[in-house]
Amino acid sequence: MTSALAHERTPLQGSGSGAGRRRPLSWPRIKRQLIPWFFVLPGLVLAVLFKFHPAVDGIWMSFQKVQPFLGNEWIGLQNYADVLGDQRFIDAMEHTVLLAVGQTTGAVLLAFCLALLMEGASRPLRWARTAVFLPVVTALAIIGEVWRILLFPSESGFANSVLSLFGLPTQQFLSDPSQALWWVMMVGIWTAAPYNMIIIMAGLVGIDRSLYEAAAMDGITTRQRIWYIVLPALRPAISVVLTLAAIRSLRIFTEVYVLTGGGPAGATEVWMTRTFSLGFDSNNLGVASAASVLLLLVTLALTVATRAITHRKETS
Amino acid sequence: MRNPRSMRFVSCAAAASILLTVAACASDGEAGDDADQSLEVWARSDEASAVSWQFMLDEFTEQTGIEVEYQAVQEFDTQLQARASQGDLPDLLVNDAGSLGNYVAQGLVLPVDQAAIEGNDEVPQRIWDESIGPDGELYGVPFSRQASITILRKDWRENLGYDVPTTWDELTELAEAFATEDPDGNGEDDTYGMVVPGSAQSGYIYRWANPYILQAGGDALERSEDGTFSVVFDSPEVNEAVEWVQEQFCTEGVTVPGSINLTTADTPFFQQGTAGIYSTGPYNISTFSEAVGAENVEIIPAPAGPEGTTAWAEGENIYFGASSDKLELQQQLASFLISAEAQEIGMSNEENDEGVAAQAVVRIPVNENVDAAQVTGDERLAVAQEAYADSEPFPWSIDYLPYRQIVADGLNAIAADCNADVAEGVTSIAAQLQEQLERDEFAG
Repeated sequence: MTSALAHERTPLQGSGSGAGRRRPLSWPRIKRQLIPWFFVLPGLVLAVLFKFHPAVDGIWMSFQKVQPFLGNEWIGLQNYADVLGDQRFIDAMEHTVLLAVGQTTGAVLLAFCLALLMEGASRPLRWARTAVFLPVVTALAIIGEVWRILLFPSESGFANSVLSLFGLPTQQFLSDPSQALWWVMMVGIWTAAPYNMIIIMAGLVGIDRSLYEAAAMDGITTRQRIWYIVLPALRPAISVVLTLAAIRSLRIFTEVYVLTGGGPAGATEVWMTRTFSLGFDSNNLGVASAASVLLLLVTLALTVATRAITHRKETS
Repeated sequence: MRNPRSMRFVSCAAAASILLTVAACASDGEAGDDADQSLEVWARSDEASAVSWQFMLDEFTEQTGIEVEYQAVQEFDTQLQARASQGDLPDLLVNDAGSLGNYVAQGLVLPVDQAAIEGNDEVPQRIWDESIGPDGELYGVPFSRQASITILRKDWRENLGYDVPTTWDELTELAEAFATEDPDGNGEDDTYGMVVPGSAQSGYIYRWANPYILQAGGDALERSEDGTFSVVFDSPEVNEAVEWVQEQFCTEGVTVPGSINLTTADTPFFQQGTAGIYSTGPYNISTFSEAVGAENVEIIPAPAGPEGTTAWAEGENIYFGASSDKLELQQQLASFLISAEAQEIGMSNEENDEGVAAQAVVRIPVNENVDAAQVTGDERLAVAQEAYADSEPFPWSIDYLPYRQIVADGLNAIAADCNADVAEGVTSIAAQLQEQLERDEFAG
């Protein structure tokens, strides 16, 4: 009955539009094309209001001395010069790159091992997978807080009491400027690995089982199997994981902010904590915006480069 | 299968939802018409101090009929920046007296006419003068004052048979005893000496160390007659204080392990009974008393440094938001808030209807007719009042935030590394302060 109704109305409206022949312009057709947009619009409006508008604003602010009540002052590239000329930003960049490289490699390697260990359908494995995945669904701030407690630098701290079982001396962990960054990296790897594991596992499931069978008949070793079958098949998954992990690591903020706040002695200061501190501790929103825009550009360049490299490999 | 009627319904619904979204956004900006007789007030407060504010403002509304929309804001400066970027500020904001220079530099606050504030003569002129901006105009109404005080676990001290420390050395000695002599007598090595928020974030380590710098006779900047400043940080006095600070961090147990990264939010050690010495503001007394028992918490006169017992003064001012056009109402509320009546309400620890106990927002009253110890019946506040009598604030007329951050970053680096050369660190901090002064064009 509904289709009958629809059938009746179409010619009426068609003649109403007067054109008759030009079907693409008929009202129902336009309506049909418009409706999806209506569904998208609420989300789009929100995204424009809360994402794109602030982002564009941020880019605009990066060229200005920001003072909302006295009127912003256009100062060209001065903010960018300030960022690039600031030794602490340079130090923060070094820490960020070191963290990004260390965390990305560490998390992908660990994820790969975890994925190989956890692949399968048995019930205990399902439990283990859930347990391993928990860090991903836990809020970063809570992870930071928990690790801060575990790494309490006195003899009675959890990590130190574990070390003392092996006769190792009490460590200062996050309070020691020479170790703090490594411990932040360790926490980062612990947090990121399970997410990577899931993507790699999805890749593992996609490998044709007959390849394993054929390889087994040829009598190859486990190492050869990983090198010649598993890794090549995982290339797309690993490229996704690498891109995501690299971007995530460059943007690192919450863990560092909760674990050390950038200290001690600036040893764990990263790009985002420096930006945050300039923007909100020193009220220098212009320079903070410039720093954020620079991070955006670096992330963008890195993403494009990773895509280009892996794409070339995939096609070759 | 497509059903045009239901499709039409869906498209209407979609359109309606968009309109609602847009309308919700639009209606936001319409608050605050000229005609309305109400004030929006922001104060930095947590749940307990919000109760105190509510008591005061309810009384104001009852007396005048002026409605007050009060917002308890925790991340005050972050939120204020967000509001400022929209060009719309609260009518009245109550925050640190030390923020004055920063707010004036950003144009966020209006000048105040002292004569138009009723009862302004009940506040000492010395305190009014602490609200004068770099251009010689008055920009804030003083609301509450406080000074850093030293809080001790009295029972621990007495258990171990120590006297109240009167010098830095005795303070260190007591801290070491708290760490090593099992002051709580539970047979476990689980206590420490001092609670120190040692992170450089928001300048915490400088706030903690500043009384010691003052007590050694040092300071960061010195104001000259013409309103310019000079750096006085690189001095033997400051060196002595910073050496002492480094020593506290580097003597095991004297400070809680890991203090170098801690902010005030991560330092519950006094309340938890794991540390027994805290140099902080008097606003913590009620919280501490509740946690470990009022009889176990004592406030002592600052243990003397080489040059005396000067404390670091802080306070809160009432500021008039620059976008407001309700000057008369602003003045009326400010007059009420500094009156003896309001200041007394602001010190109460009473519970509200929901059973939340108020935390005093008036720490040391600015109104000279009000005596904190007398109003609260808490004799310990007399010590806090004495500390305030001999105290120095941060420079208020300039935007001190960048300077505070420079000193805090430098101190954090020196305290983090026990082999760090103090003299070198202090010189480097002084050089950065000088650079900042020149950038801000305040160098004398």
